[in-house]
Amino acid sequence: MNHLILGILPYFTVIIFLVGIGYRFYIWIKAPQPGAITLFPAPSGGADSFFAIVKESLLFPGLFKGDRFLWAAAWIFHVTLALIIIGHVRVFTDFPGLWAALGINADSMSAISGGIAGVTITICALLLIVRRLAILRVREISSFSDFMIMLLIMAILATGNAMRFGEHFDLNMTRSYFSALATFSLTSSLMPANQMFTLHFFLAQILIMFIPFSKILHFGGIFFTQTIIKKA
Amino acid sequence: MSDSPIIREKAVKAPAVEPDEKATTGPALRKQVTDACKAIDNGPRVLKLYMEMCARCGTCAEQCPVYQGEPTELRNPARRSDLIRSVFKKHMTVSGKVFGPLVGGRDFDGDMQRFVDAFYECTGCRRCATFCPMGIDNSVITRKGRAIVDKLGWTPERLQKVIDISLETGNTDGANQAALKETARFLEEEIADDCGVEVRIPYDVAGAEIFFVPPSGDLLVNPEAVMGIAKVFHKLGISWTLSSRAFDGANYGLFTGDDKSMKEDNKLYIDEARRLKCKTLMMGECGHAHRIMKFMMEKAKWWGDLPFEITNVLQFTAGIIEDGAIRLDKSANPDAVTYHDPCNFGRSCGIVEEPRRIMMASCADFREMTPNRHLNWCCGGGGGLSAMDDIYEFRMNVSGKMKLKQIDETEAKFCAAPCSNCKRQLAQLMEYHKRNVTIGGVHDVVYRALVL
Repeated sequence: MNHLILGILPYFTVIIFLVGIGYRFYIWIKAPQPGAITLFPAPSGGADSFFAIVKESLLFPGLFKGDRFLWAAAWIFHVTLALIIIGHVRVFTDFPGLWAALGINADSMSAISGGIAGVTITICALLLIVRRLAILRVREISSFSDFMIMLLIMAILATGNAMRFGEHFDLNMTRSYFSALATFSLTSSLMPANQMFTLHFFLAQILIMFIPFSKILHFGGIFFTQTIIKKA
Repeated sequence: MSDSPIIREKAVKAPAVEPDEKATTGPALRKQVTDACKAIDNGPRVLKLYMEMCARCGTCAEQCPVYQGEPTELRNPARRSDLIRSVFKKHMTVSGKVFGPLVGGRDFDGDMQRFVDAFYECTGCRRCATFCPMGIDNSVITRKGRAIVDKLGWTPERLQKVIDISLETGNTDGANQAALKETARFLEEEIADDCGVEVRIPYDVAGAEIFFVPPSGDLLVNPEAVMGIAKVFHKLGISWTLSSRAFDGANYGLFTGDDKSMKEDNKLYIDEARRLKCKTLMMGECGHAHRIMKFMMEKAKWWGDLPFEITNVLQFTAGIIEDGAIRLDKSANPDAVTYHDPCNFGRSCGIVEEPRRIMMASCADFREMTPNRHLNWCCGGGGGLSAMDDIYEFRMNVSGKMKLKQIDETEAKFCAAPCSNCKRQLAQLMEYHKRNVTIGGVHDVVYRALVL
């Protein structure tokens, strides 16, 4: 089982994710769009339109005007998620030279920032689930998969937090594991013997594989939809 | 499309499509709806994205005039769009094929009337699109839904009649050339009576600088706007003309999703503009007419390159006011007035400041509704609903509810709405709820304030 999740599945995950996303973007680009369907106010194209699209995609100003509570929960959720993904770079590799030059203790800093991020995003995810259940107009448009995705995310967050707040987790273990995985030289002795890590990594892979086939793909699609309505 | 009693009678006599063409039922109908939903896979890109992008956040419902008027499940924009989206998901996506209803993939349930009613309870106002974090414009899906309805012959009788009359006579009121000529003479007399000045309402003048296309309602039902515009042209000494064959920019193909009749209806106006050799095709106080001309026909070059420019009378008058070319006497409009942004002018054409400049220059007490401009609430009669008397109660008590509240809050005595559909809906709304507010056009106040 360990061998399956840690030794074989990751290759499928990467292939399914990249091919799936690539295919979806390809069919979107390929689909004909006869003219823009401008929604005003809209800049008249060029750099202004580009910045309007970037702003909408990064700050969600439309949602800010439309539903302030959802905006707060969703925006903090997404920003924290981005920070956590960046933070995960240290799971794969490290930059001791950089930390020395900046004069910081990377381990204690990531313990604090990672801990705060983990708690913050868990609270946001909880709020989003409660909102989906509590508000009729959201509940009546929610399908089973909408709840499943949130539960999956909650499980990933819970196992991640368990590693962060539980007994010390040695990142050197994952670094040598992933570098062996990337160079196709994985041996069973290099597989991290940590059940929490295996579970966390397994759930994350399920989520990543599901992205090209689910609404989570909105992180790419939003640029397409905004381009169609944000150009006069 | 308007309420002139004389014209209405003529309209009824006009040959219309036989009302009962609902030949397709049962499995055949189910298959046709399913195939139409599946065909979205071939584009346009925007619809394809909308099939896959919705994050199910519910923001659209919070901002929808119909759902806010009285919430039901199918009035929830995302849920309504699911009537198409779920069929697409089930048949055209990997997740839908594998997991079916677990990811929201479902077959069409065969209830065609429910399908029709749902898409004809959306006013297509695009307010949801302004707030949607995914950039989804549910009005595009609504129009697709109506196109499916139309293909199967289920378009509501009243709207089909308007389209047939318009294709037959060139205008949605079914008025003939003689009626237009008579109306022009009558309006000239009215202006002479009111102002003591001879102001011409010319028609069919080849070589005139401006070919003016109002909605026919502004000639036959609420003519003060056209009278105001005539006064402006007169004051400036500009040569302009109406056409006795083409005097109604309204085009209901936009509302029923019938591209073919929309283009056919539009062609008469381009042919007429070419024949009259005008320099400018000026659209009147009608948002969807301007949208079709400027943002659909001209942009997509339906009829090739055009030897004239397309502009709107609101932009024109706002421009000459800025230039100081006319003098307006605000004391002629002493009462509190407000302005309703028709969705097609605001969200679809970006014309929001011009009408305000005109109103503020002509009225002593101009008040804004809240919210306004591109955030404005729909009158409740958009997307052709205004013409449908069989949903009168719905328009008065559900879709118009937010608008009524907004107008009440201004305490205005006059509300300008440069759109025949908005005017009809708002006038009915004021009457139904016993409000003492007059509904008119933007150039109505210009008519009163312009010093000749």
